[in-house]
Amino acid sequence: MDDRPGYTTFSSLERQSTVAPPGFNRFLVPPAALAVHLSIGQVYAFSTFTLPLTRVIGITHRAPADWDLKEIGWVFSIAIAILGLSAAVFGRWVERAGPRKSMFTAALCFGGGFIVSAFGIHLHQLWLLYLGYGVLGGCGLGIGYISPVSTLIKWFPDRPGMATGIAIMGFGGGALIAAPLSVLLMAHFKTAASNGVLETFVTMGVIYFMFMMIGVYAAREPAADWKPAGWIAPAQPKRLVTTADVAVDTAWRTPQFWLLWVVLCMNVTAGIGVLGQASPMIQEIFTGRVPPAAAAGFVGLISLFDMAGRFFWATASDYIGRRNTYMVFFLLGILLYSTIPTIGQLGSIPLFVAAFCVILSMYGGGFAAIPAYLRDIFGNHQVAAIHGRLLTAWSVAGVLGPLLVNHIRQYQIDHGVPRAQAHSFTMYIMCGLLLIGFLCNYAMRPVDEKYHYRGGTQS
Amino acid sequence: MKARLIILWVAVGAPMVWGVIKTLEDALKLFH
Repeated sequence: MDDRPGYTTFSSLERQSTVAPPGFNRFLVPPAALAVHLSIGQVYAFSTFTLPLTRVIGITHRAPADWDLKEIGWVFSIAIAILGLSAAVFGRWVERAGPRKSMFTAALCFGGGFIVSAFGIHLHQLWLLYLGYGVLGGCGLGIGYISPVSTLIKWFPDRPGMATGIAIMGFGGGALIAAPLSVLLMAHFKTAASNGVLETFVTMGVIYFMFMMIGVYAAREPAADWKPAGWIAPAQPKRLVTTADVAVDTAWRTPQFWLLWVVLCMNVTAGIGVLGQASPMIQEIFTGRVPPAAAAGFVGLISLFDMAGRFFWATASDYIGRRNTYMVFFLLGILLYSTIPTIGQLGSIPLFVAAFCVILSMYGGGFAAIPAYLRDIFGNHQVAAIHGRLLTAWSVAGVLGPLLVNHIRQYQIDHGVPRAQAHSFTMYIMCGLLLIGFLCNYAMRPVDEKYHYRGGTQS
Repeated sequence: MKARLIILWVAVGAPMVWGVIKTLEDALKLFH
């Protein structure tokens, strides 16, 4: 079995081939995870394709035979739904297959999804877009998202939050790369006969496959008895950090799993709703003072804080503890959301921007600290698989958040509330959601010993 | 090992830095 660099043969994809030799530098592993997450994070920038995909035939305008916005909107929705579903379904396989094989599969699915979609654009068959980017790409998203989790936790038992935070920061950063890259590529490929979206899909499929292969190439598992030099596991572990393991099929029967599920769901719902409405929200609250270009800048800025928060809060959780970190998210979140209406009335744009930057940093932090929280509660054994199942909370929040924010805003406007004040009630609803999250996090206790994994047939 | 470490971090870090700079350019419009 050849495991020399560059010899990524099929046999070297197996878990046993990825065990690192003695003296291997563990800081080679985070870039592998980052390569995968930076790629799949592209999904957050899918909206850059929305308009061009409605002008495939008309090129400069929408022809009657072109797809409409609603039809294209489903591509993104399918991809996100399949992300949660595939992470939940393939989690155990990812644990068995190891990081390299699962990253390779994710690269094939995600890159392949673009190519199948390009065929769909070429043949003008919408179902190929749903199948390609939606289903195949969605599987790449789900498998890719959880593939480096348990490997990173094994390499960094002393700093699991920081390690998984680096990877999940990549998912936030993926959109920051993909949005300008898509615009550049479409402009480059644009001709009189094409708006460039087909060629961009093919190019991005190839680029992302190759970039994810950096992760496949660099991924290594530590030897079973490996420990960081000089690190000794604490003799007296903290109350909410277990030394036992819980298997995935047992984990989701415990109250702790569902408490964490609600914690993640509430944190994501509160953030994702305002993230989707950030541009109209700032324009409506500060009527006439924030032009659309500046509002786009606001969206970019809070996306940056979302990304930075993933690293910052996940790293902080290694020092202050996972439960305390989420306590900060919920309490500070309630405080900030409840002051937004007052800030709006005061007319202070800098204060408004600062508040949302902190809120969105905690939204990202919620995603990034959850794998380490799962490790603390359920142990290392099948943490990626458990993480996969917990991501269904993201799928639910992805529907619930925008639905709540859009519906409440529209209801307020329909009932005569001025647009500038239509968001105030939404902020108080967000406080309510965060309070539910706070209570669930407060109720977190160690898993009962009867659920502990004692070896056997489960793998 | 050290060279490999630097190459890997630069390979994945460079696109991220590019994306951050591009986003910051847009974000600055908010304060103009």
